[in-house]
Amino acid sequence: MALAKVWSAKASWKRLVPWGALLPMALTVLVGYLGTALWSLRVSLSSARTFPKDDFVGLAQYERLFDNDRWLHSLQNLAIYGVLFIVACMAIGFLLAVFIDQKVRGEGVLRTIFLYPYAMSFVATGLVWQWVLNPESGLQQAVRQMGFSEFTFDWIIDQDMVIYTVVIATVWQASGLVMALMLAGLRGIDEEIWKAARLDGIPTWRVYASIVLPMLGPTVATVFVLLFTGVVKVFDSVVSMTQGGPGTASDVPAKFIMDHLFGRANIALASAGSIVLLLMVVLLVVPLLVLRSRSGDAKGHG
Amino acid sequence: MRAVYLPAAPVARHRPRRMSAGRVGVYAFLLTAALFFLLPLYIMLTTSLKSMDEIRLGHLFALPLAPSIDAWRAAWSTVCTGVSCEGVRVGFWNSVAIVVPSTLFPIAIGALNGYALSFWRPRGANVLFAVLMMGAFIPVQVMIYPLVKILAAVGLFSSLPGIVLVHTVFSMPVMTLLFRNYYLGIPQELFKAARVDGGGFWRIFVQLMLPMSTPILIVAAIMQITGVWNDYILGLVFAGNEHLPMTVQLNNVINTTTGERLYNVNMAATMLTSAVPLLVYFVSGRWFVRGIAAGAVKG
Amino acid sequence: MLRTACRKTLLALAAGLLALPALAQNGPRAEVIHWWTSGGESAAVKTLADAYRAQGGQWVDMAVALGEQARAVAINRIVGGNPPTAAQFNTSKQFLDIVDQGLLNNLDDVAARDGWDKFLPETVLNVIKVKGHYYAVPVNIHMPAWIWYSKAAFKKAGIAAEPKTMDELFAALDKLKAAGLVPLAHGCQPWQDNTVFTAVLTNVGGRELYLKVLRDRDRNAIQSDAFKNVLLTFKRLQGYVDKGSPGRNWNDATAMLITGKAGVQIMGDWAKGEFSLAGQVAGKDYGCIAGFGANAPYIIQGDVLVFPKTDKPDALKAQKLLASVVTTPAAQVAFNSKKGSIPIRTDVDASKMDVCAQQGITIMKDKARHLGNGEIYLTPDQNGALADILTAYWNRNMPVEKVQKDIASALKN
Repeated sequence: MALAKVWSAKASWKRLVPWGALLPMALTVLVGYLGTALWSLRVSLSSARTFPKDDFVGLAQYERLFDNDRWLHSLQNLAIYGVLFIVACMAIGFLLAVFIDQKVRGEGVLRTIFLYPYAMSFVATGLVWQWVLNPESGLQQAVRQMGFSEFTFDWIIDQDMVIYTVVIATVWQASGLVMALMLAGLRGIDEEIWKAARLDGIPTWRVYASIVLPMLGPTVATVFVLLFTGVVKVFDSVVSMTQGGPGTASDVPAKFIMDHLFGRANIALASAGSIVLLLMVVLLVVPLLVLRSRSGDAKGHG
Repeated sequence: MRAVYLPAAPVARHRPRRMSAGRVGVYAFLLTAALFFLLPLYIMLTTSLKSMDEIRLGHLFALPLAPSIDAWRAAWSTVCTGVSCEGVRVGFWNSVAIVVPSTLFPIAIGALNGYALSFWRPRGANVLFAVLMMGAFIPVQVMIYPLVKILAAVGLFSSLPGIVLVHTVFSMPVMTLLFRNYYLGIPQELFKAARVDGGGFWRIFVQLMLPMSTPILIVAAIMQITGVWNDYILGLVFAGNEHLPMTVQLNNVINTTTGERLYNVNMAATMLTSAVPLLVYFVSGRWFVRGIAAGAVKG
Repeated sequence: MLRTACRKTLLALAAGLLALPALAQNGPRAEVIHWWTSGGESAAVKTLADAYRAQGGQWVDMAVALGEQARAVAINRIVGGNPPTAAQFNTSKQFLDIVDQGLLNNLDDVAARDGWDKFLPETVLNVIKVKGHYYAVPVNIHMPAWIWYSKAAFKKAGIAAEPKTMDELFAALDKLKAAGLVPLAHGCQPWQDNTVFTAVLTNVGGRELYLKVLRDRDRNAIQSDAFKNVLLTFKRLQGYVDKGSPGRNWNDATAMLITGKAGVQIMGDWAKGEFSLAGQVAGKDYGCIAGFGANAPYIIQGDVLVFPKTDKPDALKAQKLLASVVTTPAAQVAFNSKKGSIPIRTDVDASKMDVCAQQGITIMKDKARHLGNGEIYLTPDQNGALADILTAYWNRNMPVEKVQKDIASALKN
C-alpha cells in the first residue's frame, strides 16, 4: 500500500519532467508571442502615435484601416502573390529536385547554383532584379537590341502587373531551398520502389505522380508552412525592388505596417494591421491544423 | 507483401550511357533553369568589376571594359559606413560572436521541444505548439517595442546575451517544427523499448535520440546559420553598439537616402557578406541533402 | 649629475606619455546615432567629429543607414534605458512625440549663451523651439526642390538660356523631347513625386497658397481653382518622364543628366554629390535653379541633433559641448561644403562653397523667401498620406477634383 503511494507520487513527479523541459518554449510562447500579440491588440485599440498611449478608442483604428485604399489593395496583392509564389516555388522546386535526382553529371555544382540566392541579402539582389526588369535598361532593351524590336517586358512599370515581378524575384530566391528539401525527401524513398516500378513497366512520370508525390506528403507540408510564413511577412523584396510602387501598386501588408510603425509614427494603425493579418492567418491555418492532428492521431504515435 | 521478382539483369539505377530524348530533356531543363538562376549573379559580378562611369552608361549585360577589383578592396576595408571608413570587415567577428551561440541554443531548445512534443506529448502541449507556430507569422518589427521593454527590465538590452536570447525566441517556431517532424518519423517502438528498459526523460534524449538526430542537426544548423548571419534588424536594435553584426555595415554601404550610391562597391559588399553562408552551403551541401534524406522531414 | 638629469628626463617623458591617453579619455564622451553613411555624408560628419574632438571631446559613432531605421533605433535605445548622447532627426514634427513624453533634454542655456535667436532663420527656430524651450540643434539646411539641368543636353536641344518661368521650363522640356532626349529625369518613388509637387506648388501656387494648404490645411484653399491649377501642372510634368522611371533611385536619374541623356531633374541639393563624384562642376557642366522669379520661395528642410534625457554630468557636458560646436561658423562651413547643403547661419564665409550653395545662402538672407518643407507643418502621418495621394495621381489617370477631395480629407485630422 505504502509502496503504491510512493510509486504513484514518483510517477506524477516524473510526469512533470517533460513539462519542465518545455518550460523555455512555454515561456517564449506566453511572454514572447502571446504577450506581444496582446500588447499589439491593446495598442491597436488606442490612438498611440510614436509611443503607446493609455486611451481607448474602440475599433476606430480598424475602421480607418478598412477605409484605406492602400491597405485593401495590399491585402489583394498578398492573396495574388501568396498563391502564385507558393505554387511556383513548389512546382519549380519539385521539378528541379526530380531532374537533379536523375543522376546527372555535376549535381553538386547545379545544387549550389540553385541554392546560392537563398544566401544573399535581398537588399542588393532586389535592386539587381529591378534593373533587369526595367524596360529602359534591362531585359526588354537587351532583347530589342538583339533584333526583336517588338519585344515588350515592362511589367515592373505597369500598375497591374508589377506584383508578378515580385513573384519572379522571390521565386528565384526561394526555389532553391524548396528544391533542397524536396530532393532530400526524394532520396529518402526506398530504392525498392523504383526497382518494382521498373519491372512492372510503369512509366516514370506515373511513378512520380501516383507513388512518389503521396510519399512526399510530409515534406510538402513542411515546405508549405515555411513558404506560407515567408508570404505573410514579405517585405524586403518589395522594398528593394519597387518600394511598393509604381505609386502603391505593389504594396503588401507588411510594408503598410512597417511604414506606419516607423515612418508615419502611427503605431496604433500599424498594430491594427498586424492583428488583422494574424487573424487572417489563424482563420486559414486552424482548420488545416485540426484536420492534420485528427489524421495524425489516426496513424503516427498513439 | 510485395511479390518477389527474379531479375534477369541488374536493375540498379545506373546512369544510362546513351543520350535518349529523355536525358536531353533533363539536361535542357536543368541548364535553362541554371541560366535563370545565374543571371543576377552575373550582373552582380560584372557590376562589381566595372567603374562607376561605366555603370552610369546603363549597359546592364555588358562585360566590364576594364575589370578591376578596386570595388572589392574598397568594400572590404575602405568604404565609408559613417564616421569610420573601414569597410564591412569591421563587423565580421561580431557576426561570428552572435551566430555561434544563436545557432547552438535554438537548436538545443528546438531539439528538446521536438522530442518532448513527439514522444511524451504532455497534455495541452500541442496547443502550445500551435500557438508557437502562429507566432512565426508575426512580422518581426511589430514585436520589437515590447521586447525592448522586456529585455530592458531584465537588464539584457543592448548586449550580446540579449541578442542571443532574441534570436532564440524568434527561431523557436521553425526549429521546433523541424525536430518535431523528424522525431515523429522515428518508430515509436524504439522509444517504448527504451522506457521499458528504465530510461527516463533525459536519459532517452541524450543517449538514444540525440545520436540519431545527426542529419536533422546539420539541416537545422544550416538554416539557422544562414538566417542569423543575414539578420539585420534584430542585431541593429538589440546587440548594442559594440556588437553590431556585419549586416549593419553592409546596409550602411548599400542604403542611403540622399547620399551617392557606389553600385560596384554595393555589389562587392553584398557578395563578401554572403560568403560565409555560401561557404557553409558548399561545405555541408552533401550532408544537407543526405541529412533530410534520412527521414528528417517525414511528417 | 648626468644620472639625475637622465632620470629626470625619463620621468618627464613617462609623465608626458601617461598623460596623453588620459587626455584623450577625459574628454566628454558623445555617442551619436545618425544616418550619414555614404561617401560624401561620411566626409561631412567627420568634420563635425573632428570639430568636437578639437574641443577635447570623444566622438563615438553609431551610423545606421536610412532615416527611418536610425530614428527607430534611437527611440528604441531611449525606451530601453540605454540612450545615445545625441541622435539625428529632421526639422519636422518627428521628435514632438518624444518631447511630449519628456524624453529629451533641452538646450536653453546653450541657446542663450550662443545667441541662437540672433542667427537662426525663424522657420528653423519654430521647429526646434517647443513650448518656449529649445529641444534640438540644427545642423544644416537642405533645399529639396532645386531644378537641375545638364548643360550638354540643353546645348544638344538648342536651348540657349536658362528657363526663367514655368512656361519657359515647359518650352525647354518640349525642345528636349524633340531632340530625342529624356526631358525630365525622374525616379517614381513616393518621396520623389512629393519633391516635384513641392517645386510646382511653390513656383506655380506661390507662398500664400503653399502655407494655406500645408500649414493651415485650409479646406477652401485645397478645393480652390489655384490649387487645381497646381495639380494639373504637376500631372503635366508626368508626361515628360521616360517609361523606365518607376522605382528608379534618384541617383540613377541624376546619372542620366550626367551622361547627357536627360535634360532636367527636380531634386534636392544633395544631388551635387553625384555630380561631383562624376567630376562635373556646378555652373560649368550643370546648372541649378532655385526657383522662378526674384521672390521664389526657398524651401527649408534640414537635419537636427536631439539630446535624450540624462542626468549623468559627463553626458550633460558632452551634449552641451556638441550643441555648441555644431553651430560655430567654421564647423558649419566645413560640414555643409561636404554635404551639399547650406549653413544654418548666413554670417559665414561662403567663398569656398560651390556656386549653387552660394546662390542658396544669398537667397536665405532674404527672410521673405523662407518657406518650410511639408514635413515641418504636417505630422509624419499626414505627410505620408499626402504622398500616397500624389503618387497615385502621378501614376494613374484620375479626375483632379477627386485628388483635391482626397487631399482635403487626408489633411483633415
